[in-house]
Amino acid sequence: MLDTISAGAAQGAAQLGWTGVVRFLHLTPRAFLPMRAAETITLVAGKGIEGDRYMIGREEGFYSHKPEEGRQVTLFELETLVALKRDAGIELGPEEHRRNVTVEGVPLNHLVGRRFWLGETLLEATRLSVPCRHIEEITGKAIFDPLINRSGLNCKILQGGIVRVGDTVRNAA
Amino acid sequence: MSARPITTVKTVVAGIEEAGAGIKLFTLADPDRWELPPFKPGAHIDLHLPNALVRTYSLCNDPADNTRYVIAVKREADGRGGSRALHDEIGIGDVIGVSLPRGGLEPQARIARYVFLAGGIGVTPFLSMVRHLERTRQADFTLHLIVREEVPLATHLGSLVEEGRIIVHRTSRSGRPDLAALVGEGGSETMVACCGPESMTDDFERVTAAWPAASVHIERFIAPPPVIDPDAKPFTLSLARSGAEIEVRAGQTMLAALQEGGIDIATSCCGGICGACKVGWIEGKPVHRDRILSPYERERYLMVCVAGSDAERLVLDL
Ligand code: FES
Repeated sequence: MLDTISAGAAQGAAQLGWTGVVRFLHLTPRAFLPMRAAETITLVAGKGIEGDRYMIGREEGFYSHKPEEGRQVTLFELETLVALKRDAGIELGPEEHRRNVTVEGVPLNHLVGRRFWLGETLLEATRLSVPCRHIEEITGKAIFDPLINRSGLNCKILQGGIVRVGDTVRNAA
Repeated sequence: MSARPITTVKTVVAGIEEAGAGIKLFTLADPDRWELPPFKPGAHIDLHLPNALVRTYSLCNDPADNTRYVIAVKREADGRGGSRALHDEIGIGDVIGVSLPRGGLEPQARIARYVFLAGGIGVTPFLSMVRHLERTRQADFTLHLIVREEVPLATHLGSLVEEGRIIVHRTSRSGRPDLAALVGEGGSETMVACCGPESMTDDFERVTAAWPAASVHIERFIAPPPVIDPDAKPFTLSLARSGAEIEVRAGQTMLAALQEGGIDIATSCCGGICGACKVGWIEGKPVHRDRILSPYERERYLMVCVAGSDAERLVLDL
């Protein structure tokens, strides 16, 4: 029973209930280096983000020794940053969570296994991201525990293109 | 694809400058001149040198200068080989892996005056501090530099010496200065720090021992020992399948000990929640500390990234 979402109310709600927006874009060419903000990023289908550490062919990320399709682009909810500040008093900036795209109004945890549009690009969510101790080392903030179960979404890129801050995020039915 | 996890920050040697007195300044930068991980004034990094040498050096540039790590290295002919490797083998363009910066002083608003005591090349941890204070003007500082005769990095320190912010004491001429006189009275707004040969840091400790800890802040710039759980004890891992025995040092993770022993373990979170590093155990008393295994699973598995041992010996199914 729990292997699939029923075709009834739950699925309908998840598909119809949201439209989100891209708030921040970040990338970095190598493990451990600070993330740099960008106004636009270029997604390459099946590969990754131009100039990012996990781009296939570059592989200079912390997890590059364990290749994974879903690491082509990673997303994070702006709402989580707001909640961290509100509930745990931790100020974490969008450049600190180390995911590429910070979105608002997108229920990332509901999207595993689904397809959605990020601006003009089409993504497929492969799994939820897991927080990593490594991020505490880099940021010097105790955010491992508060990020459990809301550490973002790993996606592969089905259709590439340019993603801009302000782009719309919506379900691909 | 790299076969092993990336564990260091990749830098290239972007500059090497002879600074006199057997000292070379090395400038390390990202291959694309990207910003480097930030550091606090007084911080240090480990350099992973050829031949598996790992050596720690203080960062000498202003922390605001965020695309470079500058280190000063004195060639120690009888040293353990790190400075020789850097002086004799490393050239411009060479790739050196470094750790994330550690240590240093969190600049505090309540401190109005810093007094630094440095012995010879022990001046290096104060350079980033001094540059930070010069730029921010948030506090006054005096650096007492105690040398035999020659001032290390003289060309870089010259203007500060002229301004009287660095006071040079030459022991070849006037003997060893009285540290108590140099550090003065202290007070809640003063912070004193010392770096130099052991005899000097010992003296410094003696001189400041009676100072009330609450009102006087003492920093000693020696590489801090790894943080060890005071209750942690060393133990032995014996690997049932390979027959190998691996020692885990007090406070070391099982994962680190296994990796040192050349055993490849898959990891991801390194914090006991993802399940990547699950290993079976056969005999012993594991201390679990993970947050994914059920009580039932714990009877046969543990997560090597966080688990410890309550007994001297732990047998793993590896
Ligand atoms: S690496 Fe994630 S549980 Fe050990």
